[in-house]
Amino acid sequence: MIPYLREFWRRRAFAIELSRFADKAEYLDSKLGKVWLVLNPLLLAMVYFLLVTVIRSGASKTSGLSTLAHILIELFTFYFASNCINGGALSITAGGRLILNQAFPRALLPLSSAISAFWAFLPTLPVYALVVLVGKLFFPHTQIPGLSFTYLWAPFIIACVGITGFGLGLLFATMNVYFRDTNKLLSYITRIWLYSSPVLWRPEILHGWHRIFLFINPLGPTLSATSEVWISGKAPTLAEIIGCLTWAALAVLIGGYFFISRERDFAVRI
Amino acid sequence: MRSEFNKAEQMPEELAVRIEDLSIKYKINVDTKKTLKNAVMRASKGEKVRMRVVEAVKHLTLDIPHGSVLGIVGANGAGKSTLMRAIAGILPPTEGRITVNGKISTLLALGVGFNPALSGRDNIILGGLASGMSRAEIESKTEEISDFAALPDGFIDMPVRTYSSGMYGRVAFSVAVNMTPDILLLDEALSAGDAAFKEKSFNRMRELCAEARTIVIVSHALQTVNDLCDSAIWLHKGTMLSKGNPEAIVDEYLKFLKVGTLPSNLEDM
Repeated sequence: MIPYLREFWRRRAFAIELSRFADKAEYLDSKLGKVWLVLNPLLLAMVYFLLVTVIRSGASKTSGLSTLAHILIELFTFYFASNCINGGALSITAGGRLILNQAFPRALLPLSSAISAFWAFLPTLPVYALVVLVGKLFFPHTQIPGLSFTYLWAPFIIACVGITGFGLGLLFATMNVYFRDTNKLLSYITRIWLYSSPVLWRPEILHGWHRIFLFINPLGPTLSATSEVWISGKAPTLAEIIGCLTWAALAVLIGGYFFISRERDFAVRI
Repeated sequence: MRSEFNKAEQMPEELAVRIEDLSIKYKINVDTKKTLKNAVMRASKGEKVRMRVVEAVKHLTLDIPHGSVLGIVGANGAGKSTLMRAIAGILPPTEGRITVNGKISTLLALGVGFNPALSGRDNIILGGLASGMSRAEIESKTEEISDFAALPDGFIDMPVRTYSSGMYGRVAFSVAVNMTPDILLLDEALSAGDAAFKEKSFNRMRELCAEARTIVIVSHALQTVNDLCDSAIWLHKGTMLSKGNPEAIVDEYLKFLKVGTLPSNLEDM
């Protein structure tokens, strides 16, 4: 395991460049190019915001802004994780020729997908900041914080989301080698996961033992901590921090073990 | 029984590759597509998956010295490509042991995972990184690789999807031979390009040998095996039937095929 991890670390530049070139290839023929990285989740957030507002039969203007901000930041974060997982799941079967030609730690392919997901996520943060800044000009009494030290928690949370997504990407990448329709199933799982995560609803609505639903969800603690930092302007609770770290560690350990123990089989199965 | 892939561990220095009692078996699903849906359907009917065990390589023992060119001949399904992938560390041995002393460069299936939307230059960088080189090392070799591939002016910065199959193959070959490998593994890779490029490829391989680098070639172009190799092995259904001088092995192989030395067997594909 240690030589594998050493080789994995030594070859990290390959994962970074693969991600850069994959992004370049994907947006080469698109006129709007990488704008779609922001436009896609932004439009989706708008649709969900309208849906949530209609279901609630309208909302006050200030709570409307915080609802919009909540959906935006949570959806961006959720999509970061789901892009890590979905991209990771396809990375091995899509990299067939590379796998059949070169010997390298195969975990670099899901890592490359996670890096791509991170670069797609990063430009959404200024978009969120812009929406909140403009919103605060019109609704100065909103609860959403302006510049705050609590934002210093954001890198920790983003790292936990990325590591959890990468770990689960390893798990689903292995499954996809054995069962080629795993990625189709994953699209349904992602949809159900989105609705059962605190993206369209605030984590505060869960009280008492119901909060367990937040912590049995691998993305629950990170999304709850995201809401805490970006919307409530507070530091994450200790339970959320432990939850974030636990799920990140579990995802990487379980996904990594499952992947590495089977990766020498990939060249035969692909 | 040990089943290992090692790098230069307790092996005579003059050897590039040592293969000890190597066997490679794998299971293939002969029934249905590998999907969760089919797995659930089968489980609900209480059916089991029909698997077939393929013994691709059987108890092979072989030493390949540094600076040698080994040719591998055999009919389709003989286990040649499986053996090459095992030497490259891509396929795990089921039994036995492979020890490798040096950096390997491979060209095992044309295409090598090139992204058709990216330029030749980008694909060269990716190919180099995949084989373990640093970005700086690859960038210092990009022009050399591009010149060797003899692409028309400006093509190196055009998407690979605009390349002809010959250009595609030449770039793939050029990447493999210019990565300064200690051990070069080529599986049916000498068909790239025209006669002039083929001559250039042969010269480059002779240069590599002169630098004490090792080349293993799988080819159905038996004349290539005769011209380039200083030893050869004949694989048949996973078993090494003979080993020795290339001309003798090629003759023996052709007799076995009962086709004699027809031009179709000797020409370079």
